[in-house]
Amino acid sequence: MKISALTAADNYFEDFVPGTVMRHARGKTVEAIENVMITNLVMNTAQAHFNEHAMKQNRFGQRLTFGGVTAALIIGLASQDTAENALAELSLDKIRFTNPVFHGDTLYAFTEVLAAIPADREDAGIVHFRHWGVKENDTVVFEGERRVLIKRRSHWAQR
Amino acid sequence: MTPAFLARAVLKPKGHSYEDFEIGRRFEHHWGRTLNHGDNSLFTTLTLHFNPLYTNVEFAKAHGHPDVVVNPMLVFLTVFGLTVEDLSEGGGAFLGVEQLGFAAPVYPGDTLTAVSTVVARRESASNNTTGIVTWHTQGFNQKAAPVIDFKRTNLINKRGAAP
Repeated sequence: MKISALTAADNYFEDFVPGTVMRHARGKTVEAIENVMITNLVMNTAQAHFNEHAMKQNRFGQRLTFGGVTAALIIGLASQDTAENALAELSLDKIRFTNPVFHGDTLYAFTEVLAAIPADREDAGIVHFRHWGVKENDTVVFEGERRVLIKRRSHWAQR
Repeated sequence: MTPAFLARAVLKPKGHSYEDFEIGRRFEHHWGRTLNHGDNSLFTTLTLHFNPLYTNVEFAKAHGHPDVVVNPMLVFLTVFGLTVEDLSEGGGAFLGVEQLGFAAPVYPGDTLTAVSTVVARRESASNNTTGIVTWHTQGFNQKAAPVIDFKRTNLINKRGAAP
């Protein structure tokens, strides 16, 4: 198996230029299959995410999407452009949930390259990203920073 | 006609309130969770996370892993999920996460457990029914090796406030 044939050639460490802002190509509409299934899969017991009847008596009037699901979807929507050639996810920081997400909302992801720095191994480097998640009406629902260990083309493009 | 058992039923409450979170209090969270291949594939595909380390075992082995790697976001959400009844089920918005580090890869068949300590709390300036609490949460595998740790901050209802 030629592993470099399975991923794109334009998202190695050398390709990330600080200051670049990316608008990722796909959005995803959040519904019960994302929010309720993942909330239950990870055993998050907060029924605000899965009891519509209880939430009808709450000021929101409906189920709220678990912030962890929002975070995973935004990083997922950004992943092909920021992690397809990643060796490891290193860290997350400054994660903020700035507005509620409801079933039926469509999420889009944006990413800024903050820095690209050497790692303690010569075949990869560390890229520092800032991500934003927005709804279809441009309301920002998620912000956060992420550091990823990404392959260098020089060492991996022919493997 | 209302069933008679309804009048005899006593609520079994879940979760904690702001007053329960003294600084330094430690929680060893319930249940644990063995993550399997199905969990990883379902989560990774539903969240459109396109790194073949999580979905192609031959690709993962070519990178030195013994199996597919469990998606780190699934590790995060699972460890988080295990903490919810103790920490945040009592209500209030999830505000943010700081200083999250992934310490070691997780593989299908690994079992995760979670421990948290209260690191900060303060009253809300704008709402006397809630406070703001920060916990340090650590996730471990079955060998007691750390796999993740992070600080999480939530609004938390005071005792007696509606969830």
